[in-house]
Amino acid sequence: MSAVHAAARGTAIEVRGLTKRFGAVTAVDDLTFSVAPGRVTGFLGPNGAGKTTTLRILLDLAAPTSGSCVIGGRRYRDIPDPARHVGAVLEATNFHPSRRARAHLEMLTIEGGLDSSRIDAVLDLVGLTSDARRKVGGYSLGMRQRLQLAGALLGDPGVLILDEPSNGLDPQGIAWLRDLLRHLASEGRTILVSSHLLAEMAQTVDDVVIVSGGRLRVQGPLSLLTSQSQSSMRVRTPERDRLAAIAHAAGYAPRPVSDDTLLVDGATPEALGPIIASNSVVVYELAQVSQNLESVFLELTTSMTGTAASVEPKEVVPR
Amino acid sequence: MTAFPRLVRAELYKFRTTPGPWVCMAVVVLLTGLGVTTSFINGDHGVVHFSAPTTTEELRRLMGAGYTAAIVMAPILGVLCITTEYRHHILTSTLLAHPRRADVLGAKVVASALWGLFMGVVSFAMLAAMGIPLLLSEGGSLRGLLDQVGPVVPGMFAAFLLLAIYGMGIGTLVRNQIAGVILALGLTLVLEPIIVAIFSSLAHMDVNFLPTRATQAIAGGLTPHGPGGAGATGTAHLLLSWWLGAVALVVWGAGTAVVGYYTTFRRDVT
Repeated sequence: MSAVHAAARGTAIEVRGLTKRFGAVTAVDDLTFSVAPGRVTGFLGPNGAGKTTTLRILLDLAAPTSGSCVIGGRRYRDIPDPARHVGAVLEATNFHPSRRARAHLEMLTIEGGLDSSRIDAVLDLVGLTSDARRKVGGYSLGMRQRLQLAGALLGDPGVLILDEPSNGLDPQGIAWLRDLLRHLASEGRTILVSSHLLAEMAQTVDDVVIVSGGRLRVQGPLSLLTSQSQSSMRVRTPERDRLAAIAHAAGYAPRPVSDDTLLVDGATPEALGPIIASNSVVVYELAQVSQNLESVFLELTTSMTGTAASVEPKEVVPR
Repeated sequence: MTAFPRLVRAELYKFRTTPGPWVCMAVVVLLTGLGVTTSFINGDHGVVHFSAPTTTEELRRLMGAGYTAAIVMAPILGVLCITTEYRHHILTSTLLAHPRRADVLGAKVVASALWGLFMGVVSFAMLAAMGIPLLLSEGGSLRGLLDQVGPVVPGMFAAFLLLAIYGMGIGTLVRNQIAGVILALGLTLVLEPIIVAIFSSLAHMDVNFLPTRATQAIAGGLTPHGPGGAGATGTAHLLLSWWLGAVALVVWGAGTAVVGYYTTFRRDVT
């Protein structure tokens, strides 16, 4: 990790009213979000949500239909020597299979006007030193991802834009990537990383930008999103209505789900159990039902009619 | 180093570190060797014999032994320069390093021209290594051969250089590598001879501005080598003057590149 020099502080990424249409298909629809320096921001959404298209527009590889993207207040094309300021990993296929890994990085240093002495450092950082003289055509997908990351870090950039960087990585590789991104963010860099798997990113990201159908669903800190991943208590009782009244009086919002079953959102066994006992309610079954982060993500991304909003925690604690 | 020179350097580095340009170079060596050999094969009243070239036309044919290599391999090199980027998605990393596409295309033009020139140097090195000893061993005149340096060599270097740019323009237009190579070869070896036959011979129209005819004009009126192929300079008076031939090739190269830039190179990179 020490191989990466302390970077200049990252700069913010701003996407404003971005729209991209391919004929009749709207891939990105009036998308607006921002990415702050010093944090890892997860750009999340299912396949086809418009993530890659957005990143390509951000990097000037594609033209927007309308809207704008800037990095540090400038369009990518207006950043002098952009490889010194922005590192990008877009796909694991940007290699000539007959070129050796080291030669690939050498090529990038020439193109970007970068210091070739950093090649050894980044190869060491991504764990490819011993394979550096092999042709990339013989690399596994995971090794190609690592090489892409090495290329992105060559310029010691303050901003990193990574599209599905964990594709092809084994569990150890994913853990390594997580630690690397956390470390890079701790140095003040701006890190935007896309994924279609929230669970994989949950331990890595500070903020989330969730898109679906090309539109923004949610933007905010992950901590606010996790607050939605609440638990509920399912209670089967012959006294459904009486228990509902008791739970309501205790500050919960109980929901009947059948003739003899009640769902009490936000409740825990420790909280609800004593209430049931003190009121002598007959209970046949008491079970905890948890809604995890992934199901919150699925709910957000499959709801195609919702409007974009910042994450607001539901009122789930007893008043 | 400012951006453009380093982009050119990067393009030359790409040539050096992939097999395609070296395969082109190997074929240039082979075709030049074949050209040297056929320059010593002469026909006389139906009898073919191996002997040193003696006439001005025969010596010019030997000096231009790399002509076929130039018209076949230089355009292919140019095609590879751009289509390899599309085929292996390397254009993405190129544009990330330098998003101004006109500069990138310009660097490819210069790099293709330089590598084309390098192919010409290698071709003449092959000629010198094989042709001169063979000429001397057959009792030919080295002085007679050297007299052909002026009429042939500058034009041949220009042909390698300009045809590489022309090939790059074709590659920019079509983007697909196989289609580009087939188009480059098809235009040179199939379509142009047909057009020349139809428009020049039948309709008596001037088709000397076509790339191969323009190449002949700048390279001393040479034609492709081969048994029975005259390598003739006898039709040289029908061609453009050398400088008009050079202008025609520049227009072909720059024209295809500019059209390719506006029609395909500025498109979204996906």
